[in-house]
Amino acid sequence: MDMENQTRVLELVEKVGKENVVVVLGGAEAEASGLAAETVTTGDPTFAGPLTGVQLELPVYHIFELKDIIPEDIWEDQVSMMEMVLDVDEIIKEVATYRERNGG
Amino acid sequence: MTNPVVRATSYCLFHAADMVLTHGTTLMLERAKHPDSDFLAAVKEALRPFEDVVAYPPNQVYIGNLTPEELAELPQPWYENPVEPKRLGRLGEIFSLDELIAMMKISDSFDLVALEESFAQKMVEKLSSHPLFTEADLAVLGKTASLQAITELLEKNTAVPLEFQGQVVGCVKQAHEFDANLKADIMFENLAAKASGALVLRHLLWNNDLDPSMVDYIIETSEEACGDMNQRGGGNFAKAIGEICGCVNATGSDTRSFCAGPVHGIVNAAGLVKSGIYKNVVVLGGGAVAKLGMNSRDHIKKDVPVLEDVLGAFAVLISADDGVNPIIRTDSIGRHRIGTGSSPQAVVTSLVTDPLGAVGLSITDIDKYSVEMQNPEITVPAGAGDVPLANYKMIGALGVKQGALQRTELDSFVQKHGLKGWAPTQGHIPSGVPYLGFAREALLSGSIKRAMIVGKGSLFLARMTNLFDGVSFILEANPGKQNAGQAAPEKVVTVGITLSGSEHGLEEVLRGAELAQKRHRGIKVVAIGPKCSTTLAMVEANTEEEQHAAMEELLKTGEIDACVTMHYNFPLGVTTIGRVVAPASGKEVLIASTTGMSAGNRTKAMEKNAILGIAVAKALGIDQPQVGILSVDGALTTERSLRELEKEGYTINWAVSSRADGQAIMRGNDVLAGSCDVLVTDSLTGNILVKMLSALTTGGGIETVGYGYGPGVGEGYQRIINIISRASGAPVIAGAIEFAADMAKAKLPQLVDEELAKAKLLEQEAAEAVQKPPAKPVDQEITGVDVLEIESAAEALWKENIYAEAGMGCTGPVILVAPEDLDIAKQKLIELGFIS
Repeated sequence: MDMENQTRVLELVEKVGKENVVVVLGGAEAEASGLAAETVTTGDPTFAGPLTGVQLELPVYHIFELKDIIPEDIWEDQVSMMEMVLDVDEIIKEVATYRERNGG
Repeated sequence: MTNPVVRATSYCLFHAADMVLTHGTTLMLERAKHPDSDFLAAVKEALRPFEDVVAYPPNQVYIGNLTPEELAELPQPWYENPVEPKRLGRLGEIFSLDELIAMMKISDSFDLVALEESFAQKMVEKLSSHPLFTEADLAVLGKTASLQAITELLEKNTAVPLEFQGQVVGCVKQAHEFDANLKADIMFENLAAKASGALVLRHLLWNNDLDPSMVDYIIETSEEACGDMNQRGGGNFAKAIGEICGCVNATGSDTRSFCAGPVHGIVNAAGLVKSGIYKNVVVLGGGAVAKLGMNSRDHIKKDVPVLEDVLGAFAVLISADDGVNPIIRTDSIGRHRIGTGSSPQAVVTSLVTDPLGAVGLSITDIDKYSVEMQNPEITVPAGAGDVPLANYKMIGALGVKQGALQRTELDSFVQKHGLKGWAPTQGHIPSGVPYLGFAREALLSGSIKRAMIVGKGSLFLARMTNLFDGVSFILEANPGKQNAGQAAPEKVVTVGITLSGSEHGLEEVLRGAELAQKRHRGIKVVAIGPKCSTTLAMVEANTEEEQHAAMEELLKTGEIDACVTMHYNFPLGVTTIGRVVAPASGKEVLIASTTGMSAGNRTKAMEKNAILGIAVAKALGIDQPQVGILSVDGALTTERSLRELEKEGYTINWAVSSRADGQAIMRGNDVLAGSCDVLVTDSLTGNILVKMLSALTTGGGIETVGYGYGPGVGEGYQRIINIISRASGAPVIAGAIEFAADMAKAKLPQLVDEELAKAKLLEQEAAEAVQKPPAKPVDQEITGVDVLEIESAAEALWKENIYAEAGMGCTGPVILVAPEDLDIAKQKLIELGFIS
């Protein structure tokens, strides 16, 4: 996760409290999505950004895991094409690993 | 308006190993934070030597030595499976770092680059035989600095080092003491973009044998910005690069849109060419040093060499339609609109399916898509996936959503319409343009019909907008080329020419025939005559009569499609339509007619001549010929009967006389001015006109201008025989051969019958009052019959059971009979009072 986004997540958590924050990822690839999930749970694994050593333990989901709660027309419009293209199962598995490790 | 075509492309790479360490942003940031980091040392260790860079398969694709299709077949990882290291390619060249450094010095207009003496000397020797470097370049390299002077500048922090194989060989100085936009690192970055851009432009011009002065405009599309603290992106790289390349007639400007810059540049260039503002526009981009080693952290981590070790550069020449090179379709430019939205499907819709839909095409009508052509070996280890593959899947998925493809066809779509990526991750460099060179070749060879080039850019990186950007265009085979391709397999038109009978000798006729052969590859000229020395195909026949017999036989068997001859008698009803050049305007005019007779009655003949003249004009490609009637006896009657035809629905476009009264009746002045396309006249007057206009400048002895007396045309007449006179010179003979060939190509006899039918002038009453005796060959002439009685004279002979044809010789009407009937026919005609 890039520095800018790490900063934005940290600022938001400080402002509204981590119980009011859910992170939704849109990564196109399993490994990168997993890294982002790790960053907002156990901290930046690359030791480069402001979340280095910061365990926010935020609930984190990939957009593909939330299909059931998204209105069908919006899903159709915004996500359905990429659902066809990307390795959905692999991405969900990777993100879920970090969420579960987090006890979430 | 013309169509813009992709006339030439060029692709160059520049090995930049040391620059990865000094000017790649990943490494610069690391050095600033951790000067002694293991990562820095690891990158230094993992940099590839020049030989490995040249042997790297994706780089060989970039310069055209391997195709993307061949790359897909090679075993991966490619960096462990090198190919033959060729630095020169069909489409480009791979330069070594020392050459790039030398070019930075050559490109430097402000004495900002200092090169150490011994290095510069080596480069003068190395580059003296390189075709892209000039004497003037070598003289610039002669201005050197001592290593000590360079070291002092580096120690004062007013310059940054130029390193080659770990050694300092020069430096780039700051251009201003305080201006952040002119500091040494920025000057380094901009000079590298300028130098690589200039070398790729030089390569484009040299490799395609183009004169630098032919370039009208240059659009530079890299991702750098040159300017000072008052105008950070003031520009203009384009003009600066053109200057180094001798493009003295060009100006230019810089176009930016992150990675989408090059495709924007090409769309702009296409518009400039299409509008006629410029004829030749070069779109180019030099390399970005900042992106060197961008993903090297991931590469090191995964034991991959530092593959981002080259600068990329490209140049494309967009020119006015030449009938050959592939066309950029300006009626289907795709663009990501501000209101489009940023979901992937909205983006792909706006860039791919919207522009295709605008011209009625489906996604499967594009043979190859060129998207972000990043080399997957660079992007996959960095977690960015296989970028081209992801793009192809998105296009295919959209096709599935829109019903153009079945879900199960997705993989085969990607396989068929996609390409394996090969371009270095230089931002703008992989963005659609790397395939243009291959696309041009594939469209020229006909192996594909259409390609779509898509460029996308991440505008949000500049923090000015969260929007994304993209543009696309379709590149299509040139229909000019297609037509030529279709014409080529067609039979070459074979035109015969009889050699004997000219007042200027057989040599003059032969010269005309050879001239026609030399001028027209689509015509095969066959000489019919006595044995002589010529490169033409020959059919031997000695006398004029034998030559005419041979001509008729060759036409009958189809061995020739048309023939040019002189002193040949057509049957009555057939007349010739001549073609002359009006001396006052150079305009071509058809004279209807010039020999023979289309009908026995003078005004009936002139009426028919008009229709036959129109048919020949149409065979020449003049769809709506303007018709004028020469002011001779019967002109007004002819006009009246033609106006009657109009009333019955036949269309005639009337010409207007150049004289004050402006009528369709043409005077002598109009003949000189060429006031009409078809000049209707009686054949004897027409014959005089052709003679006069063709020999206007020679005093009359030899005809040197025009196309001769034209093809014999008449109802049901199936042969194409063009007439020249005994006075026709070689240029007219060559013109007549060309004229005859055009008539054969246009299938003139068919057009003639169609035109006569339209004018309702076909002879309905085929039944003849007099029973014709059996036909036999007629080659004996009886002259002296009045033109108005010629048909009656022939019929009179039929009543006597003598087969005869009415015809028109060069000197007037003739009755044609067989040799055995000649005497008896003459006697009968005398008895009947037709001749005396």
